[in-house]
Amino acid sequence: MHDLLKQYLEEGRIKVDKSIHHELTTYHDPCNYGRKSERAFGHGYYEEPRWVVQQCCENFVDMYPNRANNFCCGAGGGAWAAPYVEERIFYGRVKAKQIKDTGAKLLIAPCHNCRDQIMKSLRKEYDFMDVEVKYLWELVADSLIIEPREE
Amino acid sequence: MEPLLLSKRERRKLAGQYAELCLTCGTCAGGCPVTGVDGLDVRKVVRLAVLGLDQEIVDSKFPWVCTLCGRCEHACPMNIDLLKLLRSARAMRDRDKVPGVLHKGVEMCLKTGNNVGIPEEDFKFLLEDLGAELAEELPGFEVPVDKKGAKYLFTINSKEPFAEPEDMMFWWRILYAAGESWTVASKNWEGVNWGLFTGDDAAMKEIVGRLVQNYKELECEYLVLPE
Repeated sequence: MHDLLKQYLEEGRIKVDKSIHHELTTYHDPCNYGRKSERAFGHGYYEEPRWVVQQCCENFVDMYPNRANNFCCGAGGGAWAAPYVEERIFYGRVKAKQIKDTGAKLLIAPCHNCRDQIMKSLRKEYDFMDVEVKYLWELVADSLIIEPREE
Repeated sequence: MEPLLLSKRERRKLAGQYAELCLTCGTCAGGCPVTGVDGLDVRKVVRLAVLGLDQEIVDSKFPWVCTLCGRCEHACPMNIDLLKLLRSARAMRDRDKVPGVLHKGVEMCLKTGNNVGIPEEDFKFLLEDLGAELAEELPGFEVPVDKKGAKYLFTINSKEPFAEPEDMMFWWRILYAAGESWTVASKNWEGVNWGLFTGDDAAMKEIVGRLVQNYKELECEYLVLPE
């Protein structure tokens, strides 16, 4: 998924307009694309999504810690669908602080689960409704310069 | 408290390959946001496993409030297979005691091809309908269903057709802009595999197998799980 988006941008098959997203933007490393991919397949997707984000955003800032040391959103491993709501929100306090500490107003999450936990739960529970949350592919789609074609 | 017979240790299953190498340093638990929840933490779970107290782990909430994020395993100086331990504890739960909807989702996926039980006709209608809506903006757009020989086969997270169908359009816009050759299968298109979370290897394998079958039958080059 990351490879595909990166490839489209590199080869010029899609064109994006950076100026649409001018606000300070940060990126959440999902466990599955990072640590777990690194362990299972020998490659963690840390740099590809950051590169894609920075093709679409003018101002980027990383959370700390990040990449292999990043904190889970708190809803992984099925916790988003599990009944332990209080524990899930408690878990997410670390992620919430990481996000707020960056001062970013746009957060990119390339995982359905992480995006839902941050957008639908943590923003409300930890009071950062002013931070917009988008999927990585949503960011790319929203930045597209599309020239309609007739088929 | 009953004395713990060391002979009991011979029956342990969860200790896995490396648990005995644990130095009890606590690096794992120190970096984990759910340390202490349910009176447990990763380090304690390893101690229980080494002592053969498997059932205490299986009956506890801990393996389920843990998100299997792997931060502990990444930091462990002895490279202990902590995720395998915790996921195996999930697997050892009776299926009717798996928390929440996770196991029901697995059963639904095995029965209907997706976690929420969307019928094939409804799914195809939705794709056609949304595709037509997007075509008003992007001339010529349509969702290619079961298109043989497409380069990319995309799976779909059932959450989207179920609750947030417009969100599928993000990828559609990108694929349209790139002029890509892609398709979606009309059956067994679910990209979410809850067998991973419930420790159900057999179900997980079956669900993955169906995706691979689609990919082979549709003669696609790549299988994309876009999440």
